Amino acid sequence: MEIKQKKEKKEEIVRIYIMGREYKVPAGLTIMKAMEYAGYRFIRGCGCRGGFCGGCATVYRVKGDYKLRMALACQKTVEDGMYTSQIPFTPAEKPIYNLEELSPSVNVFLEYYPEIAKCVSCNTCTKACPQDLEVMDYVQAAIRGDIQEVAELSFDCIMCGLCAMRCPTEIVPYNVALLARRLYGKYVMPKAKHVEERIKEIESGKFDEEIRRLKETSMNNLKEMYEKREIEPE
Amino acid sequence: MIRLPYYPGCAVQTTARNYAISGIAVAEKLGVELVELPKWNCCGVFPSLATDDLMRHLAPIRNLIHVQEMNDSGVVQNENRVVTFCSMCFHTLKEASLFVKDEEKLGKINTFFEREKEFVGGVKQGYKGGIKALDFLEVLRDIIGYEKIAKEVKKPLKGLKVAPYYGCLVIRPREIGIDDPENPTILENILEALGAEIINNPNRTQCCGSYHTIDRKDIVAKLTYDNLIYPIRNGAEVVVTCCPLCTFNLDFRQKEARELHRDLKEIPVMYYTQLMAIAFELDKQFYGVDLELHHVDPRPLLKAKNLY
Amino acid sequence: MSKIKIVRGYPEYMRESIEAVEKTRDGRLKETFPHMSLEERDEILHKFHPDYKKEAKRPVKVGPNKGDLMPHEVADLLEAHPLIKPEDVDLSKADFDVDVLIIGGGGAGMTAALWANYSGVDAENILVVQKLRLGDSNSIMSQGGIQAADKSNDSPVLHYLDVIGGGHFTNDPKLARRLVLDAPLIIKWHEELGVMYDRETDGTMITIHGGGTCRKRMHSARDYTGLEIVRNLKDEVLNKNIPILEFTSAVELLTDEHKQVAGAVLYNMETQEYYVVKAKSTILTTGGFGRLHIQEFPTTNHYGATADGIVLAYRVGAKLRDLDAVQYHPTGAAYPEQIVGLLVTEKVRGLGAQPVNKNGEQFVYPREPRDVEASAIIRECYERNNGVETPTGMKGVWLDSPMIDILHGEGTIVKKLPAMLRQYKRFDIDMTQDPILVFPTLHFQNGGVIINENAETTVQGLLAAGEVTGGTHGKNRLMGNSILDYSVFGRIAGVTAAKRAKNAKIGKLTLNHVTKYEKMLKEADVTTDRKAPILLPEYRGEKVLSRALDIF
Repeated sequence: MEIKQKKEKKEEIVRIYIMGREYKVPAGLTIMKAMEYAGYRFIRGCGCRGGFCGGCATVYRVKGDYKLRMALACQKTVEDGMYTSQIPFTPAEKPIYNLEELSPSVNVFLEYYPEIAKCVSCNTCTKACPQDLEVMDYVQAAIRGDIQEVAELSFDCIMCGLCAMRCPTEIVPYNVALLARRLYGKYVMPKAKHVEERIKEIESGKFDEEIRRLKETSMNNLKEMYEKREIEPE
Repeated sequence: MIRLPYYPGCAVQTTARNYAISGIAVAEKLGVELVELPKWNCCGVFPSLATDDLMRHLAPIRNLIHVQEMNDSGVVQNENRVVTFCSMCFHTLKEASLFVKDEEKLGKINTFFEREKEFVGGVKQGYKGGIKALDFLEVLRDIIGYEKIAKEVKKPLKGLKVAPYYGCLVIRPREIGIDDPENPTILENILEALGAEIINNPNRTQCCGSYHTIDRKDIVAKLTYDNLIYPIRNGAEVVVTCCPLCTFNLDFRQKEARELHRDLKEIPVMYYTQLMAIAFELDKQFYGVDLELHHVDPRPLLKAKNLY
Repeated sequence: MSKIKIVRGYPEYMRESIEAVEKTRDGRLKETFPHMSLEERDEILHKFHPDYKKEAKRPVKVGPNKGDLMPHEVADLLEAHPLIKPEDVDLSKADFDVDVLIIGGGGAGMTAALWANYSGVDAENILVVQKLRLGDSNSIMSQGGIQAADKSNDSPVLHYLDVIGGGHFTNDPKLARRLVLDAPLIIKWHEELGVMYDRETDGTMITIHGGGTCRKRMHSARDYTGLEIVRNLKDEVLNKNIPILEFTSAVELLTDEHKQVAGAVLYNMETQEYYVVKAKSTILTTGGFGRLHIQEFPTTNHYGATADGIVLAYRVGAKLRDLDAVQYHPTGAAYPEQIVGLLVTEKVRGLGAQPVNKNGEQFVYPREPRDVEASAIIRECYERNNGVETPTGMKGVWLDSPMIDILHGEGTIVKKLPAMLRQYKRFDIDMTQDPILVFPTLHFQNGGVIINENAETTVQGLLAAGEVTGGTHGKNRLMGNSILDYSVFGRIAGVTAAKRAKNAKIGKLTLNHVTKYEKMLKEADVTTDRKAPILLPEYRGEKVLSRALDIF
């Protein structure tokens, strides 16, 4: 049986400008694949290729439009007349801290990132976010020390750096958010007691004998036990 | 119950929580529900220190747009007022609302907001004008009235010697101020309704030292001494304020002030809303005195006066 | 060619099939397709799983696993020349002399680095080498979650049974035992780091089923579980000041006269400069091989998943296992073209979405082990011809995602699957309203370098953890056991490496094993100009490649 997952077809061509240089590429490709088609081999500016790592931050304009737009190269389809440039690295300050010694206090953000107080609420960061997060709102929540709000609004952040590159007051929102989420996860969210209890049981050797028996039993027995194991209903 | 849009600001969410906790409870008692803006940002006081005349108004105008949105989404009906406790927030919001009365300036700012329609998390309309920022003091005076306040008093503050302190933000400049800049009376009138004994404070409209409190504590300590020594000499037992920054400077900088002048006695500093909560005999949690937010603990005085 | 009309993200012709799916939905909400028996599983795997295609494999000609069947793409790398010749590099002086060298900065590598540090190795005596940026890995992409038997109705014993059964009873029992017993410990460590696992208000972990699980033990952080864990690990590695070399690959391991691994030769991908590292313990955490595109399958893997670790380990004589077992994730995106092959997390099925064919009929239990589920989808598309064809000629089946909000309440997808929702929204498809089209995609390297319970390979001085290793999952890994794998064995590798570093003595650095390997190739009559490891895949356009000159 032949698995054939492709069909030959004539491709529509668009013109794009990679850092100003014109290339003709098939329509429908992502910016990343279009650059590769054109002959680029990435060392930087390419990570997971699936929208999770934030490694392919890209700025672009489309011919005839004054607006500067942001995207992930692996997630944005090329358009005819698109000028693109990648921003593979964002210079940013990340203070060193020991989470064990911090507390989730209202002033923790102003202490480590005092520049957040300069936020003019222009919302440019929000506009830049390829994840459509409400970046300015979480920066504002950080100013007033609302850790939960920062953690929840920023949860889907992939730390691509575009918000920091666009901020007129030089804030690095994604690092502020990282601190918030870690504090929230460590100190604010309730701890799972059942995890603690199970660790104690395992340390006391409660399951050792049963697993030993499984390891030593015959293959047929093992298969039977597997097939007969009860499945927890939905 | 009147529902009024309410803008908290950062101070009353954190260091001045006692102001908002008491104030919101007092308002409710007086038939005013303060409805927090579903979304809000810094009032804009930090950027107002910048020289750029456009950027510094983005924050306050964005907050005014959020009030518009509350109307559009039906959270409030036809309500063009927004209430604050913090004098700084009030001042910044009102200043911005006056600034954009100039159509040209409003147009310029709105071109900025126009583009936000396109992205998630942006506001969906520009500012249409007409939103009025109200200090909660104005709500008490103009919407509720002193008589109604007096009627709610269960435990008059008889024999409590109170000196009011206004600072500058709610009275100056004249266009923004809510009372006579030289001789304001709102606080006195409220305290009178509560049954307190009012002590003359000749420094009640003086500067508290403002943000110098961060980098020039010495200046603020000197002002704090000046601002407290006269009411103390006149017999005041407590100073009553309406601004978180004034409160911080008058209360917390007493430490530095006493290092300069040994003769300065400790005196508690409280928000007028706290005294209202006490006089209305609301639940104790609304007094806001148990939150460890006071430098000079007012509880011994309140206990001595049988008020706590 | 006439333009295809697109209606809410889908070509108009595909809408007919979507209507069929909608029609059967109410009925399907009430009944789920039954499980397969072990015999049925066996049969469908033999007939339809790509692993069982004979012509896709060959016995490897050289090395410790000589004669073992492997996919051509892997055999090609093992039957290839090293990138460097011993005379190219000066080994007389080490550029770095460290206690612990970690090759690969994904989940396993960062976990190993932190635990080596916790176990007493000073940060400056650790070196993490990473081909891309720190954290760029499959680890950051994992969405669904991590298994741990920590609820009262569950036990590590049941988890063990699931792992072994899912792996068709081919796992290394010692590794499977370690995996399940250390799982709750890892969850607790993550909690202490600040990982925001989904919890009830009283702290109880919210857990769901994964394919092949008998208890709901999948812990997740929305559908960004990997991202959330990696963000925490990365921040912690930075806070500990552990040295990292980014955009640097290991191109060959080093040995000494005692035949132990003694470090590596590194290569700066940007400046093309080499560095010599001398190390008392070397840990391989290089991940898997998705970017080899075995049997031309698209892949869910990150850009750097090119099997470098297997090649390096094999050259110094480490034994491998189960490399013939490739995991095809049953549900890769089959439409739109821009995201073909990217993962549609198993959590989508975990939350109740059923796979259905073009007529809206169920054809498989939604959560069979991955290889079985994938085989059933291939059968539906190719033998029964019940797939939906995309404009580019791909076939796929529907995953009925709107069922999730019907089953668990409106807003569930928004809250629990934000990454998936966003992925499709970018191409105008709303998965809360319309089903999504899927087909199996190359996902995971089930086998790899053999390790023992202490994460030691068969070669002294070389440890390994994570996807590069084999045995833990046997021939088929279950969902939620890969984050667990790299966490459990990353931790163990860090601890073991720290212990070893206290006593190990490294002699004179050599590349003798490279010379020996070349000799073996010659003796086995391997004539090729292939070189390995390949470091990164080659995706440049054919026209460009055919005209490229190597003159600069």
